[in-house]
Formats: sequence, C-alpha cells, structure tokens
Amino acid sequence: MRMPSLWQAALAVAMSAVAVVPGTAFAETLSIWARASSSNAAQHMIDLWNSSHDDKIELTTIPDNQMVTKLATSVQAGDVPDLISFDLIFMPDFMKAGFLTDLTATLSADPNQAKVAKAFRDLATYDGKLYGTGFTPDVSILLYNKGLFKQAGLDPDKPPKTIGELQQYATQIKEKVPGAYGYYFSGSCGGCNIFTQAPMMWGSGATLLPTSGDAPAMEGPGVKEVLTMLKDMWKAGVIPESAEADTGANFQATFETGTIGMQGSGGFAIASLKANHPEIDFGIAPLPGINEGQASSFVGGDVIAIPTGAKHADLATQFIQWQLTDEAQLEGLAKNLILPSRSDLADNKYFQEEPRYITTAQAVGIGQTPYAFHFNDMVNADQSPWLTMIQTAVFDGDVDGAIQAARDAMHAIAAE
Amino acid sequence: MTAIAEGTVRPVAAEHVSRAAGESRPIRYLVGAVCVAVSTVMLAPIVLGFLASIKPAADARQSPPTYLPHALSLENYFKVFEFQAGLWTYLSNSLLVAALTIVICLALAVPAGYGLARFKIPFKEVWFIILLAPLMIPYQALLTPLYLTFSKAGLANSHLGLAMVHTILQLPFSIYMMRNAFESIPRELEEAAKVDGSSSWQTLRSIFLPLAVPGIVTVGLFAFIASWNEFLSALIFMNKETSFTVPIMLVSVRAGRLGSVDWGALQAGVIIAILPCVLIYLLLQKYYVAGFLNGAVK
Repeated sequence: MRMPSLWQAALAVAMSAVAVVPGTAFAETLSIWARASSSNAAQHMIDLWNSSHDDKIELTTIPDNQMVTKLATSVQAGDVPDLISFDLIFMPDFMKAGFLTDLTATLSADPNQAKVAKAFRDLATYDGKLYGTGFTPDVSILLYNKGLFKQAGLDPDKPPKTIGELQQYATQIKEKVPGAYGYYFSGSCGGCNIFTQAPMMWGSGATLLPTSGDAPAMEGPGVKEVLTMLKDMWKAGVIPESAEADTGANFQATFETGTIGMQGSGGFAIASLKANHPEIDFGIAPLPGINEGQASSFVGGDVIAIPTGAKHADLATQFIQWQLTDEAQLEGLAKNLILPSRSDLADNKYFQEEPRYITTAQAVGIGQTPYAFHFNDMVNADQSPWLTMIQTAVFDGDVDGAIQAARDAMHAIAAE
Repeated sequence: MTAIAEGTVRPVAAEHVSRAAGESRPIRYLVGAVCVAVSTVMLAPIVLGFLASIKPAADARQSPPTYLPHALSLENYFKVFEFQAGLWTYLSNSLLVAALTIVICLALAVPAGYGLARFKIPFKEVWFIILLAPLMIPYQALLTPLYLTFSKAGLANSHLGLAMVHTILQLPFSIYMMRNAFESIPRELEEAAKVDGSSSWQTLRSIFLPLAVPGIVTVGLFAFIASWNEFLSALIFMNKETSFTVPIMLVSVRAGRLGSVDWGALQAGVIIAILPCVLIYLLLQKYYVAGFLNGAVK
C-alpha cells in the first residue's frame, strides 16, 4: 500500500515543478564575485536587486589577496563570472590586460554616471574608454578619540587641520594622559599607509606613484614633511611600539583599545566602532595636509565591472546601471550605513542622525586614487618601495635616503 | 630501590614504568618535565585559539590580547556557521573532496606500490624516481596549466576535478609509502601463496592488503589531511560560493578592511576545521604509527 502513495507524492512534485516552470522560464541567474572585505556591502545591494527582479544574482566571496590571481586564471580559461567587484586600485592593470568589457556606450549615456565620485570615473577609464563604475566605495579619514582629547586639555570638536597640529596634539595626548598614545599606524602594511598617510602627502601637493619610468615619483611638498612627522613621533614614543610589526592585522583593533588619540582609518570604522565599542567617543575629520585647506583622502572600495567573456553581459550591464539609481544607492547602501558611490547623495536622509557619515561621504567627493600600473608591486607587496620607504624613514630615521631609494625602485617597476 | 619496593604491590606496572621513563627517580622527573614542556608548547596554540574563540568578538580583537576570556560568548561560532553559504555547505564540500581524494589516491597508489615492491620491472628505480619527481616542483607553478586543461575537459568547478588535483599533489608521497609498506612484508608469505596456486591479484587481495592496512591507513590519512587543508587549488578550481571548501571560507570569514583580522571568527573557524582531523587521527592512530615504521628496519 505504500508504493501508490509514494508515486502520488512524486507525481505531485513533478506537477508542481511543471506549474512553476512557465513563470521562471526566462529568469536567469547571474554570478558576481566580490572580494571578502566588501562582500557584506555587495550582499545588501544584491538582496535589494533580488527582491525586485526575476533574474537573480548569486554572490561568491573571493579572499581579498587572491582576487588578482583568480580573475586572471578565469579570464584565460574563459570561465568568468557575469560581474566582478574588486579594489578599484587594480582597475588600470585589469583594463590594460584586457580582462574587462568596454562599457563606454552604456555608461556615458547614463546621467547617473556623471554623479559618481570622480576617483571612480578616473580609475575606470583607459584609452578614453570606460570599463566600470563605482560600486561600494570607502574612503580614508582621520579618526580621533574625543575622550582622550578632553583628558589632554584639547577641544574635542577641533580636530587637527594641519600635520603640524596633528603632531602637536598627538604629543600633548602622550604627555598628559597616562597610558595613552597620540597616534597609530600599521608600520608593516603598505596598503594601510597608502590609504591613510599618502593623502596627507598629495593633499600638500606631492606626486607619489610614477606612471612611467621617467615620470615624477615621490616628488613635491608633503612627502618629506609627513615622513619626518611620523619619524619624530616614533622617536618621542608618541606611537606605540606595536606599530612597527603590524602587518595590518591590528589596523582596526588598536584604536578600539581606547588608548590611541588619532589614527588614519576608513569610513568602515564608524559602523564597527559603534557596534563593538559604544563606550569610545570618537570623531571623524578629513586627513590634513601641510597647510590649512589641504585636506584630502584616498578613495578606496570597490568598482564593478564585467569580465571579458561573461555569459550574461546584457543583464550584467542592466545591474550596473540599476545600482547607480537613487533607489539602489539609498535603499541598498545608505540605508545600511554604507557610503553611496554617487557624491550627490552624500547628504541623504539615512545619514542625518549620524553626521560623521556625511563628513565621510563628502570625503569621497574630494578624495583621489592614484592611477598606477603595477600598484601591487609598488605599494601592497611586503617589500614594496612604498612600504620600505616608510619603514626606513620612520623606524631607521633616514628620511632623505628612504625617499631616494623609493624613487629609484618605483621608476624601475614603472619602466617594466 | 623505590621501584622495587613499589614493585611488591604492582610488580608488572612498576617494572614497566621504570623501564619506560628511566632507571632513577631524577631521570624520571626530568623526562616527565620534558614531556610536559613539549606538550605545553604543542597544546598552547590550540588552547589559546579555543579560548579566543569563546570570547565576545570585541574582546577577541583586543590588542594586546588577554589570555583568559572576560565573558563567554558563541557569537564567533555563529558568525562562522552563518557565513555566506553556511558552514554545512563548506564542510560537506570539503568532506566530499577529501573522500574522493582518498579513494582515487588509494586506487592508484596501492597497485603502483605493489608493482614497484614486488615485480621485476625494467628500469624500476628510474620509474620510481620519475614518479617522485613532482615533489620537487612547487605545485603553485602547476596550477594555471592544470586549470586551463581541466577547464577544457569540463573538470573545472567540479568536486571530482578538485579531488583529482589533490590526488596529483598527494600521489608521489602515497606511492613511496605504499612501496615501503609492501616491501616490509616477508617474501616467504608471497612464495607460500604462489605455491598454493594464487594469482598475483589474489595474492595482493588476500595476503598483502590485510598486512598493508597500516600503510593504506597512513596514505588515506595523509590524503585526507592534505585535501582538507588545501587552499590555493580549491580557490582556483572552484568558481561558486556553494562549491567552496572550508579553507576558503576560513580566509574570507576573518577578513576585515586592509588586511585587518577578525581574530574571534578566525579562531572559531580554526577550532571547527581541526576537529575532523583530530577525530580521524585519534581513531586511526595505532595504524598510523605502524604505517610509518613499515620499511624503517629491513
């Protein structure tokens, strides 16, 4: 007697499957790869799309450091995802290598594209063509501990406006507050420092990374001044000793101890601090330059692009255009306290209760991103010229020698 | 003297202890102290990892870290359980790939080891060295060509394909182990089987395999651990979140901005990931030690 009921059940399942097919017959599933550290933001956007579209998107998280390898091998094998979200700094290398689909026709006709932060538009352009646009941005800012400012006799509503003030305030915190340090940076992390120290240099007028073997590198005001400031603070014990060996693993954790006066950080720190350390009263300010009014920042975060050979390129293009609309930017990103990539939406209804987000979102508009090939070799690698320069200048104390050595090494890489 | 005095109560045990850990009391204590010290060094990372995994996430990120948790929390484990496709997806993928790797590895290494140990093959040692040669090439260098080939053969993004890659990486060691295992079995047994009229397949099945179990278990265990922990080829060969294995999830789950690490989630992931290895090792350890002694003394 059991068999018939089993058959009936099977038949019922089969019939319901048939009944569903007409509705989903034309729906496609797109695949997107996003690097791990931005997958959370990407997921919000994807959830919003999936809730309002028949065609669904499936996210695959790729560990940050492996994205370049993964995309390169996939393109070679012709087995690519429909969309890809990665660190915008790799845009020049990927465009040059021919890994990405030309989106000029679609994006230049889209009115929203002109409102995307300039750094994203610049970085996604190669040979006059557009290969991607902003997706989940992030931006560097100066994070400071208001509690420590008060204890040191500083005004918690007046963060430093110049690097001179930064050094002065940091020293004052170290001297006045027992157990506290004035400043922190991850001394063995190239990426952290291009994100947080470099804007102080280029804000002051410096040109950092060369685009060819004879282009200016580490030139102009700011380079020497910022390195000297860091060196002096290190020598005076204003920066904790653990900074020297930090490969970035404690980039966020150290400020969260509540003993650090100031640190270059990113917009992501706001949500993390509010959630994990409500006891820390912190402020957000633009990263200062040598003189007042030279504030700048590094626009980081992810671009979105379509790899060469994607199977659903048309649908993927639709998604890219959709994510630039007001609805997606506000409901997908801002509502979840993630910065919108369109500068015109920096001041939005969701950020009203937390003015620190507005400061951060505005920094996206004034920030820059270096346009450089071989960025990994020049900056991110463990022994990159950029990182070696900082370590030699700050920890060994040879500022001039460090700058010259970095210039030579960067020229050699850029000439490849 | 003390040993003898104690020996009147439990002669066998006392004799055993005195032989195992030295003749005199000072030496016994010294040996004990060394054992405790070594165990402490070996266990410390696991214990500290476990303690960090049961701290609240914010505590686990503290710098400098505290040794003992101030409060207990399972939030790190929840994060690992719920990360992206869910822990069970990654665990079942890893188990499937590891099981396939063991099967393919044994299917190839057992006959190969048997052949190399027991048959007269022209240039046998040359073949053996050729089979071991891949150990000398860093496997990262092989991955891109392998991926392109597998992709054309439709084996990319499949667990069978990944298990084949893991087998390729594991095979030289496995063949080496199996050859030693078969060589340590007395020839007289083989000859006795021959006299009784058994074919070489029968001899392998009925005489050699039961005796080579420790070697087979060792090869299987190593194949399991290698496949379970392998990160790079799993990442390159798999293209979907739902096909990824545990090591890839472990790297992604701890990732913060600019390389900052979520220590709590990382430690929780590590504890979860080592459990199957420890479990299998404990179950099979008596075979494992025997397998390593195969061919050690001839």
